[in-house]
Parts: sequence; C-alpha cells; structure tokens
Amino acid sequence: MNPVLHIAANELRLMARARVAQLAIALVVMLSAIAALTAISQGRESQEIRSRFQAQADREFDGQPARHPHRMVHYGHFVFRPLPALAGFDPGVDAFTGSTLFLEGHRQNSANFGDVRQSSLLVRFGQLTPAFVIQALGPLVLIFLGFGAIARERDSGLLRLHFTQGVKAGQVVLGKAAALSVVAGLILAPALGALAWLTLVAGAAPLAVLTLAAGYAAYLLVWVLATTSISALAQSSRTALASLVAAWALSAILAPRLATDIAILAAPQPTRLETDIAIQRDLKEIGDSHNPDDPHFNAFRASVLKTYGVARVEDLPVNYRGLIAMEGERLTSSLFERYAERQFADQRRQSGMALALGLVSPTLAVRSLSMAASGTDLEGHRRFLRQAEAYRYAIVQRLNRLQAERLTFSDDSKRNSDPEAGRRVRIDPGAWRQTPDFVYRPASTTEALGAATPGLLLLGGWLALAGGLAWAASRRLERAGA
Amino acid sequence: MPDLTAAEPAIDVRDLCVDRGGTPVLKNLRLSVKAGEVYALLGGNGAGKSTTLAVLMGLLRPSGGSVQVMGLDPATQADAVRRSIAYLPETVALYETLSAYENIAYFLGLSGDRPSRAEMDAALDAAGLQAGARTRRTGGFSKGMRQKVAIAMALLREVPVLLLDEPTTGLDPAAASDFNALVGGLRERGAAVLMVTHDLLGAADCADRIGFLAGGGIVEEVQADDGLDVLALHRRFGEAAAG
Repeated sequence: MNPVLHIAANELRLMARARVAQLAIALVVMLSAIAALTAISQGRESQEIRSRFQAQADREFDGQPARHPHRMVHYGHFVFRPLPALAGFDPGVDAFTGSTLFLEGHRQNSANFGDVRQSSLLVRFGQLTPAFVIQALGPLVLIFLGFGAIARERDSGLLRLHFTQGVKAGQVVLGKAAALSVVAGLILAPALGALAWLTLVAGAAPLAVLTLAAGYAAYLLVWVLATTSISALAQSSRTALASLVAAWALSAILAPRLATDIAILAAPQPTRLETDIAIQRDLKEIGDSHNPDDPHFNAFRASVLKTYGVARVEDLPVNYRGLIAMEGERLTSSLFERYAERQFADQRRQSGMALALGLVSPTLAVRSLSMAASGTDLEGHRRFLRQAEAYRYAIVQRLNRLQAERLTFSDDSKRNSDPEAGRRVRIDPGAWRQTPDFVYRPASTTEALGAATPGLLLLGGWLALAGGLAWAASRRLERAGA
Repeated sequence: MPDLTAAEPAIDVRDLCVDRGGTPVLKNLRLSVKAGEVYALLGGNGAGKSTTLAVLMGLLRPSGGSVQVMGLDPATQADAVRRSIAYLPETVALYETLSAYENIAYFLGLSGDRPSRAEMDAALDAAGLQAGARTRRTGGFSKGMRQKVAIAMALLREVPVLLLDEPTTGLDPAAASDFNALVGGLRERGAAVLMVTHDLLGAADCADRIGFLAGGGIVEEVQADDGLDVLALHRRFGEAAAG
C-alpha cells in the first residue's frame, strides 16, 4: 500500500480506538445530523406557515366589503417572503431581518417577525443549523482530533521511527491530513444528505447546492491542512493545541462578530428614528395637497387643468382627488425609494467590508458563500424589500386610479356629509379580488452563484495558503529530521 | 540491499565533524563497524553519541568528513540508507492502542513489507516476547518488551545494520542481561550493531569493541575480550570525560 494511504489508514484506526475521538466524532456527526433533520423539518414548517398566512392575507384583502378605495389603501396588505429552498441549511440574515411586510399607502414599513425578535437572545449566538455546525463546530473537532497527529508523535519518538522506515516527511503530513479529511467527510455527510434532500424534494437549484457542497468541503479542508501543518510546525503538541484553538476562536467566533462591528463603524447607517425624522422633514418640503397655497400641488392642479382643457377641477372628466392621491403617492414613494436605496448602498458597503475581512477568516469567507448560495444573504432580503415596495406602489396606485376613474369629484368631496354620496363612493368588492397577488421572484441560480463567487474565491485563496503551509511544514519537518 | 566486500565495514565514519547551533559537537570522529560485529560507543551526556546516530540515519547533515553505511552516503542517499538500518531509540515508541503484531505490521508496511503471522511469530520468538503478550495493546508493555518488539521488526526487515540508542537504560539487571544476549544473537546473524550507551558493564558483556567518545572524537578504543579490566576502564573513561 502507498505509504500515505498506509499512514492515513493507521491514523483512522487509532482514532477508532481512542474513546475521546470516538466521542467527539459521534457528537459532531450527531449534531450535524440533528441540524440537518431540523433544517429539513423547520424549512418545510416555515414555508407552510408563510404560505398559509399569505393565502389568508390575500383572502382577507379580497373579501373586504364595498368600500371607498382610499379606505383600502389604508386597510393595507400583508406580504410574506417565501423561504428559499436552502434557507433551512443556512437561514442567513432571515432570522434577523424579518420576513413579513405590511404594505399601505403613504408609508414604507420595515419587515417584521424575524425569529430573533421572537426568541431568546441565545438565538443570536447561532442556531443549530448545518451551516453553523460545519462553520463553527466542525473545525473545533478537527483541531481536537488532529493537533497531536504529528506533534505528539514527534514528542514520543514515533515520528523518527517513521523516518527510519524510509518514509518522507511530506508523506506523513499528507497521510495524517488524509485521515483528518475522512473525519471532515463524516462531519459533512449529514449536511450533504440534507442538501440532496433539499434538491430532490424541495427543489433547490442543483448548481447552488454543488457550490455549497464545494465551499464547505474546501472550508473543512482548509482546517484539515492548517491543523496538520501546525501540528508539524509547533514545538510541542500543547503549543499546537493552543495555537489552533486561538486561530479557531479568532476565525469562527471573534471575526464574524468583529466583522459586523467593524463594518458598522466603517460605513455607519442612520438609525430608523433618524431616517423617519429625515423622511418627515423631506415630506414637508415636497408639499401638502390639502394646503390651497402649496406651490407644488398648485402647479400640479394647473397642469392637470391645462391637460384636460378645463378651468376647474369640478369640470374634469376624472376625480381630481384620485389624481392628487396618485401624485402624492408618486412623490412619497420616490422619496422612500431614495432613502431605501441610500440604505441599501450603506448595507452593500458594510457587506463588502465584512466580506473583505474574509481575508483574515475563512469562516467569514464560507459564511458569505453559504448565505449567497442559499439565497439568505442581505441581497436576498433587499430583493424582497424592492419587490414588495414595487408591489405596494402598484396596488396603492391601482386603488388611487379606481378613485380617480370610478368616483366623481362631487361625490368624493361630500362623501362624509351626504350619506347617498357616501354610498356611491363605495366600490364593488370585485375590484379587490382583481388586485393581483404578490409573487416573489427569487434570485436566479446565475445571480446566486455570482453573489457566491467572491466567497468561493476567498476560500480558494485560503485553500492555497493552507496547502502552502502544509508544504512548508513538510519541508521543515524533513530538514529538522524529527 | 547494497553488497559489500568482506573487507568493507558496514559503518564507516571518517573525520566526521558536526556543528549544532554554531557549536562543534563532533570533531574528526573516526569509527567503523563490520558485519557480525557489535561496537559500543560510550560517552558522557552531550558527548555526541545520539548526534552520531542521527548522522548515520541521514537525519542530520555533517559539516565535514565522510560517512558510509553499507557503502551509501546518508546525507545524499538517506532513503536507501534507512532501508538498510534498524534504529532502536532509548525508549522504543510504539502505538499504545495497537498490539505488538499490529505495530510490526504497520511499521513494516511503511516500506511495503507484509509479514505473515508465522513470520512475525518467528521474529518475536527470536526476540523473546512471550506469545501471550503479542495480541495485547502495547500501552502496558515494559521497556524491555517494547525493545523486543523493535528487535523483532529489525529481524523481519533483515537489515544488515542496527543502531541502538541507550538500549539498556532503565532496564533491571535481568532484562539488561536478556537484551545483551539478544544483541549477541544479532551478531550471530551477521548484523553490524552500533550501540551508544552509558552502560560500560553491558558494553563489556555484549560488544566486540568499545570506543569512548569525548571532546568530539574517540579518545580510546578497546577490544572487549575476556581479559578486559572493566574497573580500570571505567576509571580511565571517567578521567577522559572529566578532562
């Protein structure tokens, strides 16, 4: 047998006979399996809940009685972001951003009902998902099983015995790394099973799944090579363990939290309250349609009268109040959009900063890749907000148009003083049923893969670095002669 | 296995110089060991005994002189040299969760050998390891039992050169005597044995020649025959080491 395979097979046999190794492997594989099963089950359950609530919201909107269209504008509508097929594998920012939006006229609301707001604070420290198990716990198990693979054998003299049998240092490093890769495969196996299920049953895109599988395999391989190399380079097994645990804590625990803080400091965003105040200030500047002296709306009225060739709004063939509502919504929406895009730009800068920090942490690199390929990154959330806002604008303007075209200005003006006029301004409920439902269009596979590419490239860089470290460790071990 | 003429020593060290961290450890060391000969290299702590072994195994490059093991240069032909030698460290390291059989099969497998159970038993019989211990995990083995496993490995590999590093340190007199007998058996099989040790009595018991290493070179070399005055030798070596 090839010496590398021979060494790897022996290392696996030693692990199989060590109670601590048995326990560690069993524990992480069990956690990985539980996380995979939970992912499948929770994904299905969340999707069912969201679909049910969306159907209920649609039914309630459609089932409203005859009403004035503007009442329906304020009645509003709920939309739910459908859960991406791979969200169970990596929920990404979904738990923090929320998945439900209340859409109404003149307002742009924030998403609500993120799991974090409904759960204990502990959820912020990582849910038990396959992504979390592989990103945080997988490397730790590899470290505990691999830190002494070479260092301990050098301490005991076993390594020298290998060399006197004609084995090269590189073969020892490769053999030990190969054995640890098998453990990495065991850690990954339940997650791969979950991914296969999500592809075959839940309809996840195969290319996205392959990207995830390749990304996580590369990530664990980085830790396998780093662990083996440090074990070969360290002065003793104790030093190897301390160095590796420090690297793990920095990469898997500190860096993800620091990255967020650093990104926020580097590209600060105004708070929700500051944004609301700024929007209110700008809204005042836009104008007040109820103020007869408002310059913008006076100009608007003049333009409408000129278009229709009449002198008074009462003579218009359409309901001027409806036109005012449409113009008001157009102005406020463009303002909301401006603020939202500014916020999205800030968020993109923050995300870019966090991704750049993947240069110091392979965990950040795989996290970015994982969320992007799973469709649960911030870009996915922004996509939902944009589509929901476009839908909100469309249905509000549709209702405003009904007000302008189906109601007369005269009835609309005295609807509160004249009961008959008040009855006439109520539109048949069939109009609500004709309102199209919200259909979320998720990112295409190409877009998801494009978003995952920077993370994949960073991981490729990490893999090359870890490979280089393994090569350097072999050379040094060879020179030192154990 | 490289062939040597009867006149050529299996181990031939000439004017060997080794520096470690800028400090000379060996200075013009000369020694040779023939096939079927046991050479005991004695010396105090830090005299360079283990350094000599490391050079012979190709684990350390000399700064001067020449070294040949079975006609090969360990510095440039380390792999071939290592195939010709068996090395027994002071404490034989074995995988503690593996049995004697499994350890032997593993280490021999590294160089592509796959000894049968019968072959292993024959080697372990020759090394003197009890049959009942062979399937037990070596974690509970004494130093002597570990050495027997290592000797069995050397026998199975049929290597012409054995390098022994302080083999009797920590052994009780009976076990040390057993070991010395075992070394005698290796000589009978035609192996060239270089044993570095502190144990003058043991060396006198099993070696053909004894060299005393001090100041980086051999300061005295004696034939270990029946007329050897061990006590006088002990005094002389003590004086050489001190001075």
